[in-house]
Amino acid sequence: MRAPTFPLTRVTGTLLLTAFLLLALGFAVEGAFQTRASIAKTFARQSEIQGEQTSLEELLRLQIDEQNSLRGYSLTHDSFYVDQYRTAALEFDNRERAIEQALSSEDLVTAYRLLQQYREDQSKWRDDVAAPVLSHPNARLSEIDKRNKFFSDQQASIAGGVRRELAGENDVLARGTQAELDRSSYVRSFWLLLFGLLAILFNAFRSRLYRELEEERTTTEILQRAFRSEAIPLPNCEVGGAYVSASSHLAVGGDVFDVYRLSGNLALLSIADVSGKGVDAAVLTAFIKFTIRAIALRRRDPAGILSEFNTAFSQAVENPYLFVSMWVGLLDTDTFLLRYASAGHDSAFVRRSNNVHQLPVTGPILGVMEEPFESKQTNLEAGDLLVLSTDGLTEARTRSGRQLQETGAMDLIARGSERAQELADEIVASVRALSRNRLRDDLAILVVRPLPRGGADG
Amino acid sequence: MAKLPALIVLLALTAASTPLALAAPQCAVHAGDRLVLYGSGDDPDVLAWDSRFRLREYHAASFDEAEQLLPHASVEPAGTRAVVETCVAAFVQSPLFSQPEDAVGIMVLSGSDRGIGKWVLGSDVRVERAVKNRTSSMR
Repeated sequence: MRAPTFPLTRVTGTLLLTAFLLLALGFAVEGAFQTRASIAKTFARQSEIQGEQTSLEELLRLQIDEQNSLRGYSLTHDSFYVDQYRTAALEFDNRERAIEQALSSEDLVTAYRLLQQYREDQSKWRDDVAAPVLSHPNARLSEIDKRNKFFSDQQASIAGGVRRELAGENDVLARGTQAELDRSSYVRSFWLLLFGLLAILFNAFRSRLYRELEEERTTTEILQRAFRSEAIPLPNCEVGGAYVSASSHLAVGGDVFDVYRLSGNLALLSIADVSGKGVDAAVLTAFIKFTIRAIALRRRDPAGILSEFNTAFSQAVENPYLFVSMWVGLLDTDTFLLRYASAGHDSAFVRRSNNVHQLPVTGPILGVMEEPFESKQTNLEAGDLLVLSTDGLTEARTRSGRQLQETGAMDLIARGSERAQELADEIVASVRALSRNRLRDDLAILVVRPLPRGGADG
Repeated sequence: MAKLPALIVLLALTAASTPLALAAPQCAVHAGDRLVLYGSGDDPDVLAWDSRFRLREYHAASFDEAEQLLPHASVEPAGTRAVVETCVAAFVQSPLFSQPEDAVGIMVLSGSDRGIGKWVLGSDVRVERAVKNRTSSMR
């Protein structure tokens, strides 16, 4: 039957907004992580530079240690100072190489060049000042002091240059970190702002959607109350009915059955299946239900009722693709004579004892062509069960995907309860069980059971 | 007439800024000040020179040039006392100095060079006792 009118635009809008929200949130979070990584990298570099600064101070201390050791040896001639001098010299060389390597890897060209000069000066001091003193410790102390002072001044100047470059690099890094933080704050603020705006938009959209759904639900509830198919009691008969909509939240759809007392002993029974389901189809079923009643009040011929309805339907419904299958019957509740006509509706069965037979179709589907309808009649007996259903029964699919069809439906009816309402409920339960509660089509069941003369049993 | 206040402001600004622009550098120490020598670098001993020009050359020279000047210098241990004889403001310049340094002419009052006149950097002296009646320093 006709495809359901699902609110696709609403779903698309909701999904799109959700996607934007997640995207904005994702960018904000990703940006935060990126900033964190960048700042961590800068801090690591700053830490390295601070390490080099500390090492440089240590280098100067070692240089002074060398000079003091030399001075001590010159004053005392004690070999202890020579050992101290050599230890300091070795440590100086190791430390200097480590700093040189670090500066080289960090591409600090000026600092690297200055450090090389520092090393060369130290080497020169060792050759020009230290080596002669170690060989002849009787050298004049004042001359040693002067040379020491000269070299330490020179090297302090060089170390100052290295310090300045390291401090400059540190400043650059600090400024870079600040810039990164600023940029990150702006970018993150932007994303958070976007996220907030999207969230507001999303909430507004959701509220509007909720309001629309609420309005629709209210409309549907009103329609449900107005158009619900109900099995009203008839004299000398037991009537049962059930209705299941394929739209799980609705109690109305494209199927309709009706039981209506035309006079004291004449009842109108009808069941119809509109191509389609949901609220739109439900509106059409209301038209069918009340139009059939109106015609039946004037005409007591089922074929005539269908014929007149066919004309009215063609005039009222402009959609050429909309059609209806319908079964109409007039039941004499005294004699149980049933006169009926079927417009392409083949789901009408009579169960007598445990035998079930199908009532024939007597005309074409309504809304398709202008062909005559035929009325037929059959005499029901007390205890018989007249079972009318829509194609939700015969086209119900089993777990393997196979349709139940007429034979399966007749089998269900044959095995079911003798009581009208119980049978209707059992059929619905069976169809639900077969299809794992996932109905593909609306399902309407109307069961009428003539009772033995003298009153209802049970 | 409308331009008169602007002119007055301009003149006032010019008058206010002129002394600053033309202000001569002043020595931090003055003749007669009692000093203690103390090097501002890593080594607190102080190189004292026999001439203020060599003092200046030493700080502007390359390594080898500076080394050649060393016979004209002596090392005064930190703590050596001296008195200021004269001072030349902002006389010594070096790429390593953030600003020119004063050349201070001193008379050494303690140690092996006691009684000898020397020249030291302004940053290598600490004033122990400033003279009360100051005389102007050399320029």
